[in-house]
Amino acid sequence: MSLLEKGADSTGRWVDDRLGSSNFVRRSLNKVFPDHWSFMLGEICLYTFIILLLTGTYLTFFYDPSVREVIYNGSYVPLKGITMSQAYASSLDISFDVRGGLLMRQIHHWAALLFMASIVVHLMRVFFTGAFRKPREMNWVIGALLLILGILEGFAGYSLPDDLLSGTGLRIAYSIAMSIPVVGTWVAFIVFGGEYPGDSILERLYAVHILLVPGAILGLITFHLMMIWYQKHTQFAGPGRTEENVIGSRLFPAYAAKAGGFFFLVFAALAALGGLVQINPVWLYGPYDPSQVSAGSQPDWYVGFLDGSTRLMPNWELRAFDHTLSFNVLVPTVVMPGIIFTLLIVYPWLESRFSGDRAYHNLLDRPRDVPVRTAIGAMSLSFYVLLLIAGGNDIVAHIFRVSINTMTYTLRAAIFIVPPLVYVATKRFCLSLQRSDEELVHHGIESGTIRRLPSGEFVEETVPLPVAHHIQLTGVESDRPELQGATAHGQAGQAKGPGYGDTHVLDAETGSRGAVSDGPDSHGTTSHGRGSDLGLTGGSAGNGAAAGGSHASAGHQPTTRRKSRGFFYEKPAPRSTAADAPVERELENTVD
Amino acid sequence: MSTPSGNDHGTAAGATSTGGQTPTSEASGGMTSSAAAGSIRDRLRSPGAQSSGGDTRGSDLSGEHFQQSDSSQQLYDNGRDERQLSHSSPPQEAEIQEPRAEDVDPAAARAAERLVSALFLMSFLGVIGFLVTYVFAPFTYGLEKHNQLFNPLLAIFMAMALGGIGAGAVVWAKRLMPDEEAVQERHPFGSDPDERAATAEALKGGLDQTQLPRRSLLRNTLLLGAGSLALLPVPLLFGLGRFQHKERTLATTGWKQGVRLIRQNGTPVNRNDLEIGGIESVFPDVPRGTKLADSAALLIRMRPDELKVRAGRETWSVDGFVVYSAICTHLGCPVKLYEQQTHHLFCPCHQSTFEADNACKVIFGPAARALPQLAISVDPEGYFVAQGDFSEPVGPSYWERPS
Repeated sequence: MSLLEKGADSTGRWVDDRLGSSNFVRRSLNKVFPDHWSFMLGEICLYTFIILLLTGTYLTFFYDPSVREVIYNGSYVPLKGITMSQAYASSLDISFDVRGGLLMRQIHHWAALLFMASIVVHLMRVFFTGAFRKPREMNWVIGALLLILGILEGFAGYSLPDDLLSGTGLRIAYSIAMSIPVVGTWVAFIVFGGEYPGDSILERLYAVHILLVPGAILGLITFHLMMIWYQKHTQFAGPGRTEENVIGSRLFPAYAAKAGGFFFLVFAALAALGGLVQINPVWLYGPYDPSQVSAGSQPDWYVGFLDGSTRLMPNWELRAFDHTLSFNVLVPTVVMPGIIFTLLIVYPWLESRFSGDRAYHNLLDRPRDVPVRTAIGAMSLSFYVLLLIAGGNDIVAHIFRVSINTMTYTLRAAIFIVPPLVYVATKRFCLSLQRSDEELVHHGIESGTIRRLPSGEFVEETVPLPVAHHIQLTGVESDRPELQGATAHGQAGQAKGPGYGDTHVLDAETGSRGAVSDGPDSHGTTSHGRGSDLGLTGGSAGNGAAAGGSHASAGHQPTTRRKSRGFFYEKPAPRSTAADAPVERELENTVD
Repeated sequence: MSTPSGNDHGTAAGATSTGGQTPTSEASGGMTSSAAAGSIRDRLRSPGAQSSGGDTRGSDLSGEHFQQSDSSQQLYDNGRDERQLSHSSPPQEAEIQEPRAEDVDPAAARAAERLVSALFLMSFLGVIGFLVTYVFAPFTYGLEKHNQLFNPLLAIFMAMALGGIGAGAVVWAKRLMPDEEAVQERHPFGSDPDERAATAEALKGGLDQTQLPRRSLLRNTLLLGAGSLALLPVPLLFGLGRFQHKERTLATTGWKQGVRLIRQNGTPVNRNDLEIGGIESVFPDVPRGTKLADSAALLIRMRPDELKVRAGRETWSVDGFVVYSAICTHLGCPVKLYEQQTHHLFCPCHQSTFEADNACKVIFGPAARALPQLAISVDPEGYFVAQGDFSEPVGPSYWERPS
């Protein structure tokens, strides 16, 4: 036994004597994580947050949130002798007088932008694959809260340097608070300590930015991860993958090495960005002065959609009974985000309400298989992107040399016209994709060979899909009967009721549940394989059986729960052309 | 397939699993002996005794020992408890799809090892480079002798240092570690009805023991006392802001009768300072006048015949000199972009556009109200002075703003 092993052994013994942790540690090391590139998006969120904590802590050693006026005398010559706030001066010092300070500041800023971007993309992945469905609704809500907190946190951080741009942003935030009916001025005065700009907002934002919100984010992330850990990750359909198992690599060593390595890769990318690509050059904007502003004032991208809605809103204001109600501010900055985020949070319940789906789901949907959800997502996304474009409409107008007025009028119309069009187009697109999948599944891959039958009839020969591909297309939970026998799940899958929580466990009692299936076709194969045991070793026999199964049961159309969910899981209308018929017959012949 | 290491892992794990359970089982059994619900309670409590910190799966662990100690049934006979077994059993391994070159060819494996090592070495070099740059590279930021390369170099070395470890680990995992497809069973999510009922019973029993449901005096005073705690932070909240004369603060600015118009640098303005078509940011000549967020104004000069003077404002301008608030009535950005030909004032934040020659009426964008005008006159020395404050509150709307 080497010295290292001895050391590890005695340390482990010491800890276990006190915590009895062996069992927990072992189970943790053996925990299986499914593999898919899109599962890395959530990891990026986590890693960027860790990087934000690390770089942010470094910045707190030098930053001073005071609005006390000082005369700048640092290394940056163009601003020498200028009166500015201590906050801005310390931001300049971080950039010019602290070795590596600029690198840290820019990594911090890039990491914040990436944090928000990865949250949004991760959210899209979770949405479009249906990963938010029962039993993961709580994690969806936490994720949505993290998105909102991220926006707040980002905005607070963006305001701290007290440069011209961030001061303008703060003033807008103050004005938004003022627009709230009845309590608006009270809220604004409580937040800012009095009439804008006051002298305490930076110190308050600093506490919010480095303590309050990061603490909340940290807590929610912990809870988010604990739930993922406990509920286990979702997975896409594939050979052997069922609602009841998870297939992938174990935490130790492969997954830990990949995930840990990925953390360093993300950090490396941010380090390169932080030193090579300039971001938020506060020294170019100058100190904040309430009477100054620069053209092309832009918030960071994640606030852009609010800026966009504000720019598009017509100038409606109600003045009556000695009071003023400004819809032009309230609607785009308070009401609209309120509605958007509420809908986002309650979406899992909305969907299950309208689809009637109360089942547990551990297998992910392919977006095309749920056209209505995918269309809703694409529609929302188009709405968001239009707002984002509107948030930079002056830049866009400048680049494309159109008038800002045309730009605004066009976007005002587009915000109502485009999303419905996107909805319809996406739904059609999904149905077409389903149809082409269906054709692949039923018809097989075109081989280019035309055969003449003894009767004189010409038929096109097709090659059945490889089983792995077949399962990816049809999915274990699919109502497509050809699935039968194609997966280790076998017939148990067909017998399933609304969720394995009730019906399926009964199956288990009869012994048919589990990784080793007794489905008709998987005898002689070792169940948990990807490809090799089901497809490759099974060879043509396996394929044939799968195809045979499809035709055997094609006639009686089993009632499945998806059928009962109405419009939500719309399927393309069956397209039986004359040309298809002989091929089907031909296939049956070859199988038999 | 199954790599030898994988199998060892599994076997060893299985052995520990059974061995490690017994003591906990006894401990939790003793702890719950008084429980009315017997074995089910036993089961419900033991997770608490087991789990510490982040161990969210304590229940599985205790479930297993429960199964072992209390039930003689075969695990698979009981559909509900299957989860505990499957959960703690080591994941089964599936076959490798296709052996990688590294699995069959020692030379390929050595090449992979060399690549990973090279990446780790790159990491080491990155660290050295970072340290050397940080300590020895010139770092002076006067514009003349500012070392443009300092931060890029730091970043490149830092990216090398971090990326080497990261890429090395990923390549290592992908090419040398077993390419396994491990299968693990999930446990069902809901508890079975017995367990739920027992929990509900425990809750209800506990509540009954507090006697809260039948002692209404206790209940009502508790509600009153605890509920009123919510009021405690309210005054503290109001302590955060200075609300004295809130409305007046919002409605007034630094301008008063006879206050001179000064530039940012403090100099007063007279009519010779501005050409026709010129514009100047002006502030009230009061203490900290240039720092007052709501007092910034714009002095614009146009030909007197270009200016469409509103009824009642005939005396507010002087020979084509007009002054408007520079604070946008939409969200308070300074309206600073002036188009000389059209006399349009443009807010760069949300593109509200105002007609400077027509009382600053809104002609485009989300702003709802014209920029307030400041009445000016000329003092004996020829400098512009204000006739008073703005005639209405400047800046964005708010609830108490008089219509």
